[in-house]
Amino acid sequence: MSIYDFTVKTKRGEDKSLADYKGKVLLVVNTASKCGFTSQLKELQKLYDDYKDKGLEILGFPCNQFAGQEPGTNDEVQQFCKLNYGVTFTIFAKGDVRGETAQPLFKYLTAQKKFEGFDMNHPVAKPLLDALQKNFPEYLEGDGIKWNFTKFLINRDGEVVARFEPTTTPASIAKDIEKLL
Amino acid sequence: MKVTVFGFEDCPFCQKTKRFLQARGVEYEVRDIELDEEAAAECKRISGDLAVPVTTIDGKNYVVGFDKRKIEELLASA
Repeated sequence: MSIYDFTVKTKRGEDKSLADYKGKVLLVVNTASKCGFTSQLKELQKLYDDYKDKGLEILGFPCNQFAGQEPGTNDEVQQFCKLNYGVTFTIFAKGDVRGETAQPLFKYLTAQKKFEGFDMNHPVAKPLLDALQKNFPEYLEGDGIKWNFTKFLINRDGEVVARFEPTTTPASIAKDIEKLL
Repeated sequence: MKVTVFGFEDCPFCQKTKRFLQARGVEYEVRDIELDEEAAAECKRISGDLAVPVTTIDGKNYVVGFDKRKIEELLASA
């Protein structure tokens, strides 16, 4: 079983085999709805602009499972949402990424790379952890996706080499991507 | 007074804005910037961005986000 055995749905509802990405370095990300953490979309786009010519593909999978858990108090959280406009990497169809209903790709990815905790130095780590403990304590158990913008890095041979939690910014993993290109 | 709210379906702050207007008995029109390209273009023309909700009466003065105080001020100015 490898990542190339999976088929996912495009935004238009068509099947897309991940075997089409053989030989590329892949960053698979569950993207936010359009609220909160949107700065990561911008940073992901920057990575894509910087490395697409060298063989990086970013595959975004929007998911609504985390829509209710905006970390922080209302005063801190922006009270607006934004469409994924301006993003030119591939965004697939909306679907679940955790639990029984998760897409098979995400069941595979989370089995390959376990949850190893949040980077508590990230400003959102503490409020995110608090919000999860309060509202969705079960999300903290096991290796399932904890929140929007969990990132999986896959090398040119299709091996899942790293998992980065929402608390790791896309900009900070540029060096990990470079190593694989 | 014709209030327009630009937004999209999955946006919780757009829902809150709509409920807020309903509670005050204000009539409003909703324009979905995800499904309607014209609405997206109009929203961008008004606010320069696609951050929503955008609440406006005249297409010139507007409030981005669910900000009760600013929305109150906007309604009072009409």
